[in-house]
Amino acid sequence: GHSTRSLAGARASARARESERERRGEETMSLCTHALRKALGSGVGAWLPMAAAAAASTSGLGASAAAAAASGAGSTASLKSGLALGAFRTSASAAVPAPQYEEANKDFKIYRWDPDNGDKPRMETYTVDLNDCGPMILDVLLKIKDEQDSSLSFRRSCREGICGSCAMNIDGSNGLACLTRIDKDTETASTVAPLPHMFVVKDLVVDMANFYSQYKSVKPWLHSEGSEKVDGKEVYQSKEDRAKLDGLYECILCACCSTSCPSYWWNSDKYLGPAVLLQAYRWIIDSRDSITDERIQQLDDAFKLYRCKTIMNCAKVCPKGLNPGKAIAKIKKAHHGTLE
Amino acid sequence: LCCESYTEKQAKLGRPVSPHVTIYKFPITALTSITNRVTGVALSVGVTSIGAMSLVGADVPALMSTIGDITVIGNLAKFSVAFPLVYHYMGGIRHLMWDRMPEMLENAKVEQSSYILIGAATAVSAALAII
Repeated sequence: GHSTRSLAGARASARARESERERRGEETMSLCTHALRKALGSGVGAWLPMAAAAAASTSGLGASAAAAAASGAGSTASLKSGLALGAFRTSASAAVPAPQYEEANKDFKIYRWDPDNGDKPRMETYTVDLNDCGPMILDVLLKIKDEQDSSLSFRRSCREGICGSCAMNIDGSNGLACLTRIDKDTETASTVAPLPHMFVVKDLVVDMANFYSQYKSVKPWLHSEGSEKVDGKEVYQSKEDRAKLDGLYECILCACCSTSCPSYWWNSDKYLGPAVLLQAYRWIIDSRDSITDERIQQLDDAFKLYRCKTIMNCAKVCPKGLNPGKAIAKIKKAHHGTLE
Repeated sequence: LCCESYTEKQAKLGRPVSPHVTIYKFPITALTSITNRVTGVALSVGVTSIGAMSLVGADVPALMSTIGDITVIGNLAKFSVAFPLVYHYMGGIRHLMWDRMPEMLENAKVEQSSYILIGAATAVSAALAII
């Protein structure tokens, strides 16, 4: 596209920003990582112009070409982004015009705990301008870490609700930070806390070792030794039998459900929890599996399955829309003969 | 002498447990579930008390009639006896239905059943308290 501002003007702005950056004594960041971090912080809408800016810069065309590419895309984010070179704060130097929008400041109370000093856990309040932030809670966390407090620790990866890393408690309910929209009401503060009743490693990061070992204990892989194999290798499965796995295989093991269950809070050592039991059921009703009876019997004691009291917090919070409570009820029925 | 438990190891590392009841926003179904447990405990305590009092010779039916005859307080007392009984009974029926028909365990359905349970139990208990 063609630039909407002159190259000379763009060069002047870029130079002003560069000198400001030097004044601040900032280290030179790689252009790509800078654009990437900014993109993650400002939401998907700003991604394209900044990716273009980063690509233009790294291909050696220089800041002015990057400015042209960014402004050519016409996005308001590109005006603020300051391209790959310089300041990424909106309160920039005099060479860049002040943003012409209102600030929508909202408070976020975030659980903090530092293992390296002996302090007790606390809730720390951060104020974020929602008009300069992406729509999801993960955008808020990244923006705070980027601009206000780099010590804030949390897990994240895919930013699209498939990896399960950013599971946490937001405004009282468990969910994925990357899929939970910010409540736009600027009068009330939002609370962000770790997954409930888990041992805290630091801030919003909790220890998942127990959860994973419980998952391993239900042997979550196919045992097809006793199944009929076509040409000695493959176990055929009908479309109807495959359909039984829908609503079960999609689990991303984020632990939102298990950590929403009061029964799992009180007995996380012996009760397996909704996530693991959903997966146990996933293997129980897989028609290709040959150790079905053994799987069902493994769960027949007072704790592993039967601590479930049908509270149904699990199905309410699942970010993938799955229903562990129903799967558990079906395993209970399997124990007195009717496996469905 | 074997390996220490997961909980012991975590506690040794000095890790706090993340907040739970203090921060969690319980859905209506979870609230009806804990109410079922509370009414169950109340019934156990109440019935045991009645048994214990009778064992030492108190005339429990007469005592109940005397209290029940007082104008407003009597109705409140009757409600506080009727509600745990009615609620827990209806909650129990809901549990039996869920056990037999897992298809009823959907988010919208369980939420609706919770409001029905609260409404029906309150209405029946109020009726029993007035008659």
